[in-house]
Amino acid sequence: MTRISKILTLSALALAVGACANVDRSRNLGNPQVSGYTLAQQVCSTCHGGNGINANGTALNPTFPNLAGQQAIYLETELQEFHDHSRRDAAAQDMMWGLTRQLTPEQIKALAEFYAHQKPLPNPAQGDPVAVAAGQKLFIEGAPERSVPACATCHGARAEGNGPVPRLAGQHADYLYKQLMAFNDDVGRENHPEAQERPHAVVMEGIAHGLTDEQKRQVADYLQSLQ
Amino acid sequence: MSLRRFVSMLTAGSAFVAVVLSLFPSTASAVPLYARQTGQKCVACHVGGVYPLLTSFGRMFKLTGYTMGDRPNLNELEVQKDAPPISIMLQGARQYYANTSNGLNGAAPGSAMDMQVLSLFAGGKITDNIGAFIQWTGQKYGDTQTGSQWTSASGIDNTEVRYADRILGPDSDLVYGVYVNNRSTMSDVWNTTENWSNVFVGFFNGGNAQAPVTFLDSAATQHGMVGVGAYAFKDNTWYGEMAVYKSVTHGPATFLLTAGTTGMPLIDPSPYVRLAYNKEMGPHSFELGIHGMVSYAHNGTADSGGISDWAGTVNTYRDVALDGQYQYVLEPHYFAVHGRFSHENASFAADQVGSAVSNPTNILNETYLDATYVYKAKYGAMLMYQGVTGSTDALLNPMGPAGSPDWKAWTPQIFWAPWQNVRIGYQYVFYTQMGGTTGGNLNFGGTTYSPHDFNTSMLYASFIY
Ligand code: HEC
Ligand code: HEC
Repeated sequence: MTRISKILTLSALALAVGACANVDRSRNLGNPQVSGYTLAQQVCSTCHGGNGINANGTALNPTFPNLAGQQAIYLETELQEFHDHSRRDAAAQDMMWGLTRQLTPEQIKALAEFYAHQKPLPNPAQGDPVAVAAGQKLFIEGAPERSVPACATCHGARAEGNGPVPRLAGQHADYLYKQLMAFNDDVGRENHPEAQERPHAVVMEGIAHGLTDEQKRQVADYLQSLQ
Repeated sequence: MSLRRFVSMLTAGSAFVAVVLSLFPSTASAVPLYARQTGQKCVACHVGGVYPLLTSFGRMFKLTGYTMGDRPNLNELEVQKDAPPISIMLQGARQYYANTSNGLNGAAPGSAMDMQVLSLFAGGKITDNIGAFIQWTGQKYGDTQTGSQWTSASGIDNTEVRYADRILGPDSDLVYGVYVNNRSTMSDVWNTTENWSNVFVGFFNGGNAQAPVTFLDSAATQHGMVGVGAYAFKDNTWYGEMAVYKSVTHGPATFLLTAGTTGMPLIDPSPYVRLAYNKEMGPHSFELGIHGMVSYAHNGTADSGGISDWAGTVNTYRDVALDGQYQYVLEPHYFAVHGRFSHENASFAADQVGSAVSNPTNILNETYLDATYVYKAKYGAMLMYQGVTGSTDALLNPMGPAGSPDWKAWTPQIFWAPWQNVRIGYQYVFYTQMGGTTGGNLNFGGTTYSPHDFNTSMLYASFIY
């Protein structure tokens, strides 16, 4: 008898403890009570690193963009675009759509602020020096013969970004290259917003279209090498 | 991962039983109910979308107790709104048998087309800290044969419930948890341990070609016992885990056991230990680990009601395995290799020697290797190798001429995933050594065979939703 009541009490206790939310260490993406900071720690850190740039001192998988020191306005815009599915390149659909589907504007803002305040670090990956040099030229001068403006005019001399224009310095070359491909992915249907994977990046669409694949790689390698 | 995947060497008392029992691994588990919970595609958690291979994120999803995502806590569920956390998996295949004339494949024709496995999954997040993985499997060809027909079977498959928490500081990350499950090594997050390596696709080969396996890899440790364990994962680097497994014959925990496990030994409390080092650098990830279990298994006389009694003498199996894996994950290329080297020291009770086994102690070594490449999470190829060497024991291994357990098999496979929920593949199993022999002197019921007589190929399609 006592044994049965013991078991019952224990299970009731277990259920009570279990059912109550643990908002400070929750991985619940559908609970508005969970703070952006908690989500950054419990969820986002698993792919983007605890500080938005590395995990336990080692570089992130280039699938996952560095977020540390990124422009807050840009971060907020992107999270909103994942949430409303307007940014729809494959990786965004695979990984970011679901995670952001129930985030509130407050959580999005807090997440953006959190990553904007993290310290960016140099990317340990090394590009081919010849490509890096060619990329630097493109970044500073553009490619006038193909009507491509200098990237630095918008992204800043050190590619640090400005408001809605993202920081690119130190970003994974692989990620940058994939974005440049995404901007003009559906060649031939450039002016159809529904065909574009990042339809809000209107300026980048024309620019990416003007760059050859090789130039995209070069400029990506250069940007990765920046601090 | 599998429902009675390997015939246990514990049934060694009857070599014939070992012949009749089937090798029938059911496909392991990518669970769309988890994908619905996080809203992600399979590639987030599975290398190139190939379940059950877990990515770094998939490992963390599991270790944090399947709790990530936006499914409400148990007490907040709304029946109208929240989809039931259930998934289904179906596998059908056309198989081709090299050998059809020996009668050992049951009534196997030269080829057969069938719906083979149906699995149902339930689970996912229950509260902020508790989550579950529950699998039920039905298979057309079960473990027993009635006349020339294989009897279908169904029952509980791998199942676990976890409580987990994660504590993060500016420079530290600690994940810890406890679990209850019904299969040793199913708690593991690398695809090197017994439950998560081996055959990723179920196939039926008439029950002839089962490699001798260590106790930890045997049917006895699959849904024939219940374990309670605890683990910790520090800084995504060091992993430690301890558990104790035991058979139960009555009470609520029997719910976790396969019904009617006739011939399965009863297991006294048996400890399981696991240590691993994990390192991730850019697209690369490495793991090196060791795991082992000391199992005390009763030689019960199997009774008709299923699990036998506790009266029998006890055999002791000391299993230690070294395991490692490497993964490269960066669209469009996905690559993974896994390896495991297991060493077993088995000590048999005195009353077994001379009846079930020839020697009081035996050694068995298992080698398992696989390599998988996937392009764009759509096109893939896989090569798997399984090798066994060990003590010569004429009673335990009556197949070969000298009682050798030595065994080698190669399994290449190609597959195509037109959509993430569908996989179509072709796999061939080559047996190059069985019972210590590579030639034509294997003995089955008085007839002789070569290992390659058992080669099996299969064209399969699996669907998971
Ligand atoms: C499963 C891994 C994963 C997790 C967890 C994850 N992300 Fe992402 N995130 C990605 C991937 C992959 C991309 C790149 C998407 C692309 O290429 O379009 C990305 C992109 C982003 C971007 C856009 C960056 C840029 O430069 O445009 C932001 C912002 C972002 N994630 C924020 C978050 C936040 C906030 C969380 C936690 C709520 C989070 N991510 C959790 C995988 C993840
Ligand atoms: C006229 C201003 C402008 C110029 C010039 C410009 N960019 Fe951009 N770039 C933007 C804006 C704005 C965005 C953000 C788009 C969005 O919100 O999706 C962006 C986004 C990007 C991104 C995506 C970053 C991420 O984290 O996903 C890359 C990569 C990029 N630019 C590269 C370049 C390169 C390389 C050049 C030069 C060849 C260049 N940009 C020139 C304005 C500009």
